[in-house]
Amino acid sequence: MAFSDNIKNSIYYHYSPSYKYSVGLENIKDNYFKDDYSYVRFTYLLDRKNTEHSQRNLYFQSGISSKGFDEFFYGIHGDWETRRFFVGFGLKETKKKIQDYSEQYYQIGVAPYLGDYGDLHTWIMMKTKKNSLENKWSTYPVLKLFKGDVLMEFGYHKKTEWDVHLMYRF
Amino acid sequence: MKKILLLLVFTSMTWAENPHEHMHHSHEGHLHEELVDGKKLEVDPERFDKFIVDLKDSQIAIVNIKGMVCDFCARGIEKTFKKDTNVKKIDVDLSKGKVLIAYNIAHKIVFDDIKERILINGQNAIDMQIINL
Repeated sequence: MAFSDNIKNSIYYHYSPSYKYSVGLENIKDNYFKDDYSYVRFTYLLDRKNTEHSQRNLYFQSGISSKGFDEFFYGIHGDWETRRFFVGFGLKETKKKIQDYSEQYYQIGVAPYLGDYGDLHTWIMMKTKKNSLENKWSTYPVLKLFKGDVLMEFGYHKKTEWDVHLMYRF
Repeated sequence: MKKILLLLVFTSMTWAENPHEHMHHSHEGHLHEELVDGKKLEVDPERFDKFIVDLKDSQIAIVNIKGMVCDFCARGIEKTFKKDTNVKKIDVDLSKGKVLIAYNIAHKIVFDDIKERILINGQNAIDMQIINL
């Protein structure tokens, strides 16, 4: 998984030995603190509710930095989705020697059409996010596309610029 | 004349019954809304016919799944079952929340095994129908 926004560029490799948790390594180019480091990450599924037409998930996420055990992050993120609608959120606290900071985001989306398995699927979304470093909300549209094992998400805001999220399922 | 009339009535009755029978039985490999035993086929018949078109000596597990709301999430189901050498073919029907799995006819299909594989991918298998071709 590759991710890029105004705070960081990152590549995240993860493996899920069980549906309950995943472990991974995230390599980060920190754009705000002008630094490069990695996180050993652990994600745990706190709650999942499957129904005939929806799925709801709540995850705990954490990571320890290659800079030392006193640099780490933790947080929760969750989503609820049907084939037509999506709602998601994330809260994250990051501890760093230079400065601690927090991040939060909220996202809603709608699928303009319902594709069959194997088709190109499209989501039109709105995302709003804030971090305590800049202490202001950014709200912007996001286009999410996926087909087969490839997922791409593009968001653009004139101040925070591009949010890009690429994922490949092996 | 009476004999001709009786023959005509009998013929028309026989003709009227045949289409009804075809709605309830499998016929030349094409299944319709109901199975031979009267149970409702819980899958789109057109999709099912397309799925089995090149299959012989197979049994089809039609698995009803909860939480299968996105294509990207369902990819893992296909990948998991394709690793099984007993599986010939798989189809995911997102709109009806079903997965069709074609197995070799000799394989014993165990629902608990299917449930476990679906659960590992994040969804819940609720029930299953097996159809022999």
